[in-house]
Amino acid sequence: MQSLLMQYLPILIFLGIAIGLSVVFVAAAWLIARQNPDSEKLSAYECGFEAFEDARHQFDVRFYLVAILFIIFDLEVAFLFPWAVTLGKIGVFGFWSMMAFLGVLTIGFIYEWKKGALEWE
Amino acid sequence: MYKFIVFLPLIGFLITALWGRKIGERTSQLLTSSLVSVSAVLSWMAFVDVAFGHNQYSIHVLSWVTSGTLEFNWAFRIDTLTAVMLVVVNSVSALVHWYSMGYMHEDPDTPRFFSYLSLFTFAMLMLVTADNLVQMFFGWEGVGLASYLLIGFWFKKPSANAAAIKAFVVNRVGDFGFSLGIFAVFVLFGTVNFADIFANAGNYQEAKLVFLGQEYHALTVICLLLFVGAMGKSAQLGLHTWLPDAMEGPTPVSALIHAATMVTAGVFLVARFSPVFQYAPDALAVVTVVGAATAFFAATVGLVQNDIKRVIAYSTCSQLGYMFFALGVSAYGAAIFHLFTHAFFKALLFLGAGAVIHTMHHEQDMRKMGGVRKFAPLTFIFMTIGTLALTGFPFTAGFYSKDMILEAAYASHSFGSSFAYVLGVAAAFMTSFYSWRLAFMTFTGECRADEETQHHAHESPWIMLFPLAVLSVGAIAAGFVFAEYFVGHEREAFWNGSLVTFAGDVLDEAHHVSGAAKWAPTVMMVLGFLLAFQMYVRRTDIPAKVAETWDGLYAFLLNKWYFDELYNFLFVRPAFWLGRVFWKRGDEQTIDGFGPNGVSSAVAAIAARARKLQSGYVYHYAFAMIIGLALAITWFMAQSPAGTH
Amino acid sequence: MTADLPSFAPALPEIVLALGAMALLMLGVFRSGKAYTQVSTLTVFLFILVGVLLVAYVGGERSVTFSGLFVTDSFAIFSKILVLVGSGVALMMSSRYMADHGIDRFEYPVLIALATLGMMIMISANNLLSLYVGLELQSLALYVLAAIHRNRNRATEAGLKYFVLGALSSGMLLYGISLIYGFTGTISFDLLADSVKTGEHAGIGVIVGMVFLIAGFAFKISAVPFHMWTPDVYEGAPTPVTAFFAAAPKVAALAMFVRAMFGAFGELVTEWQQVVIFISIASMIVGAVIAIVQTNIKRLMAYSSIGHVGYALVGLAAGTEAGVEALLVYIAIYMTMTLGSFAAILSMRRNGQMVEEIGDLAGLSQTNLPLAIGIAIFMFSLAGIPMLAGFFGKWVVFWAAVEAGLTPLAIVGLLASVISCFYYIRIVKVMFFDEPAGNFDADKGRAIPLVIGVSAVLHSPVSFLLISPLIAAAAWAAKSLIY
Repeated sequence: MQSLLMQYLPILIFLGIAIGLSVVFVAAAWLIARQNPDSEKLSAYECGFEAFEDARHQFDVRFYLVAILFIIFDLEVAFLFPWAVTLGKIGVFGFWSMMAFLGVLTIGFIYEWKKGALEWE
Repeated sequence: MYKFIVFLPLIGFLITALWGRKIGERTSQLLTSSLVSVSAVLSWMAFVDVAFGHNQYSIHVLSWVTSGTLEFNWAFRIDTLTAVMLVVVNSVSALVHWYSMGYMHEDPDTPRFFSYLSLFTFAMLMLVTADNLVQMFFGWEGVGLASYLLIGFWFKKPSANAAAIKAFVVNRVGDFGFSLGIFAVFVLFGTVNFADIFANAGNYQEAKLVFLGQEYHALTVICLLLFVGAMGKSAQLGLHTWLPDAMEGPTPVSALIHAATMVTAGVFLVARFSPVFQYAPDALAVVTVVGAATAFFAATVGLVQNDIKRVIAYSTCSQLGYMFFALGVSAYGAAIFHLFTHAFFKALLFLGAGAVIHTMHHEQDMRKMGGVRKFAPLTFIFMTIGTLALTGFPFTAGFYSKDMILEAAYASHSFGSSFAYVLGVAAAFMTSFYSWRLAFMTFTGECRADEETQHHAHESPWIMLFPLAVLSVGAIAAGFVFAEYFVGHEREAFWNGSLVTFAGDVLDEAHHVSGAAKWAPTVMMVLGFLLAFQMYVRRTDIPAKVAETWDGLYAFLLNKWYFDELYNFLFVRPAFWLGRVFWKRGDEQTIDGFGPNGVSSAVAAIAARARKLQSGYVYHYAFAMIIGLALAITWFMAQSPAGTH
Repeated sequence: MTADLPSFAPALPEIVLALGAMALLMLGVFRSGKAYTQVSTLTVFLFILVGVLLVAYVGGERSVTFSGLFVTDSFAIFSKILVLVGSGVALMMSSRYMADHGIDRFEYPVLIALATLGMMIMISANNLLSLYVGLELQSLALYVLAAIHRNRNRATEAGLKYFVLGALSSGMLLYGISLIYGFTGTISFDLLADSVKTGEHAGIGVIVGMVFLIAGFAFKISAVPFHMWTPDVYEGAPTPVTAFFAAAPKVAALAMFVRAMFGAFGELVTEWQQVVIFISIASMIVGAVIAIVQTNIKRLMAYSSIGHVGYALVGLAAGTEAGVEALLVYIAIYMTMTLGSFAAILSMRRNGQMVEEIGDLAGLSQTNLPLAIGIAIFMFSLAGIPMLAGFFGKWVVFWAAVEAGLTPLAIVGLLASVISCFYYIRIVKVMFFDEPAGNFDADKGRAIPLVIGVSAVLHSPVSFLLISPLIAAAAWAAKSLIY
């Protein structure tokens, strides 16, 4: 038990340092910096636009759809990197495995395209 | 030949069940009746061959299940005991089939009725020809199912429905015992085949079964469990409540199933297991006491019933009690002999009662009968023969078998036998009384039915009278023809090892009991007749007075010792209540009905919690899952000392 | 370079099914419009093809491929055939219902095909990773299927509930897998079995991981206390989907459960036996008691299926080869009973509307006798009345339990089956003895009457003749697990 926990000690130390540093930064800004707030400084800043209403409001469900589709292909890319790096070692089986994976994703992509999931209107 | 005996009724059932409507009512009736009749004739031939030719057969039909240590085949075990049962089942069934053609001719659903009858016959044959417990269990359940279907045949009658369901549920209780018994047999013997079990029974005399840390004598446990099954099927005290209600079915059904055959399956089971019961004296004592108590109890209730079929039903219950205490005192031959003769005269009585009901236009209340002799003289004669045989009039069938049972009980030294003798003699007196009461109320005196019924009253058609005539012959002759073989000196050769018989057993002793003990049942029979004659022919005002004076006792008997009410209170209501407790929408009114005390509030809390569990909220469901998981893990954590890995 | 290609032969049926499902998806999407019938028919044919491949090409010989991730043996063949039959029959029964409710989308058969693929992988999984992948493939398809009637509130609610709770159970499963990996350093069944056998790592950590794993499995087979989703989902989902849920996934999840327990934790039998006995008893009792007060027949079937899983688990609890054999016999019988019952429920249609209250069956024997007889056979069989197939199933599992020395468990099971008789027989009573509630519409298609007829015959006393081959097949399948 003891030795098992010992292995996690670096993580604990890392956590300690991280918490410590962030506390120091926030505290330092609060203690040392000059504080002179006005209404302009306290209002939300949105890419140069005036903040004209609450940011939390309903928006079109199609954003979700796009986000979900994006995640799939995002993951695909995330898979591709390690695959590309190790391609020399995993051989022909590794190569065709990724091809099969890409093929399945392509089938899905064709489906969603034909279904009109990518059309905004 | 034996395969024909068993499968002909099945063929009849299949044809009428599948194509009954197509081939027409008449054809299906004739078809099933003829097939069963052929079976009956073959059974008699088999009986002669097996019982008098001293043969035994084991007929292999089908290899059935072979799985590890569990192996059984579908085979027929044909020995004398089976042959006797074959004769009883097929003969009565054939006669009932023919009789039903007359009795049911107004009914629109006759093909269904006949197919059920044939199905029942087949299942019963499966039961009696079984060569292992599993096959027997199948037949056992099959007759239960057929009986359920037949009791509820007139399903438009709510009372018939209720009776069918009651019969089914009560029988499940018995079957539960029976299936536990089968498991116990398998655990102990490692087989379910009769031949192996009986051969090895002696080796396990001292064996113990351990259950929940307690040791029990294995054979006693097995026998008691099997006996629970027998009690359910044979309507013994405690599980008898379904039998009187089962009279809601058509009368031929009552004659076939609830008098002659199915209800005797329990007797058959115990007799079949006589080589095992022989090693379990405690179990035999229980059988004796329960049998005697049933014989007495049912006879007392029979004294005051007014429905003609219910009187006979209680009489059946009581006679089954006789058979059981005969088994209990190890007079197995006497029990089967009584089963055999009883099948004839009780079927005769039921069918006769059916004829009376037919004559009186579906009237079953004896208070609205009387003077039926005028309308149906032949029925009267047959019923009188049946009554004589039932009460044990000298040289009729009942005289030989019932007296033999009582003498055996007198001669036996086993536990409970004197108790059984005293109750048995008392029951004999009551049997005589209620039988003659029935006869007098129905057939003599002035007719108490309304004008309309009297006007239409008529003798039954010949197709109903013919089976009565055949059964009458059996009721008179079955006793003196067969007594020597079933219980007399020929019995060892006759049974040929299918029952436990040996020289000097209780039946031998029974032949040498004193004259007083021998004649006591006959005296009781005469006394019962005289009393009934006095009360129901000469001074018809006595019964009402007696009932008035002894109103408490009368109500007690009329309500069958309040068994139904007791069970309703003990089992039925709690069962429904439990159902409601778990009910999502919880029937709060019922629970409030219990009053605002500690119990009811606890109940309400459980009900509320059970309702909440299936609330429809996802987080409740997730919570239940987590709790279950946490419990399982805690269980293991607690089991193993902390920190080991 | 080609030398490192693994053998594809053992997994050929799965590969064919995967390619077929994708091809059908393409077919459906390019034939925009009403492609349902075509895709559905082709899916059934695909199942048949896969079944033929399984029997003729793969066979019952044990072989392992994909670096030990995938195993096929007689146990797998037996279970996969059951799964294919369950899925195929459920799909065949769906057409009319789907068309009537305007949900005859071609995605439905494709999703069933994908779920079936997931199940086949679950059955063949020889590694906790491939087990998880198969399970998720199956589950994701099932979540969508539950909610496929998406403009009906009940269906979406059912789908969402199933999804959230399913995710929770997957979480438990994954947590268990990670614990097991942490304590033993492997997730392969074979290596786990070795590791547990040598006793090096068989500490409390592995056991806790195994309990988490069992919790995940128990959710999939809807065993108490992980059953709560079942009634709601069964009631809310479209009836053909419910029929599918009650049949094939149960078989697959039980098979996976059995393989994991025997393949990886065979040496820990005394430990997992305790958990299995508990959930078995709890399932039998809850299934029997709560069903008594149900009025909706789909809900009733949900509780019934919970109870039946309990009985099947009795076989697993025995922890012997005979027990596995009994379990396989039981689920085969259970699956056919369930499909038959749901086919009957699907023909409960009055004036063009589906009805699903028990009261709607009143007097059915007078309006539609064949259907009433069929339902009566199913109910008696589900109740385990002798002469019918359901009895054999109960018989063999209880027998296995008694042989394994678990007599009290068998007795509890017997008691529960006595209680459950009550509600099955009540349905029979309603059909045969109550006043008729009105006619059902006639069935237009052939599929549903066919399913009712065939399974009624299979469960009638004809089963006398079939039980012996079934037991032989189950014995053949069970033999491959214990070695």
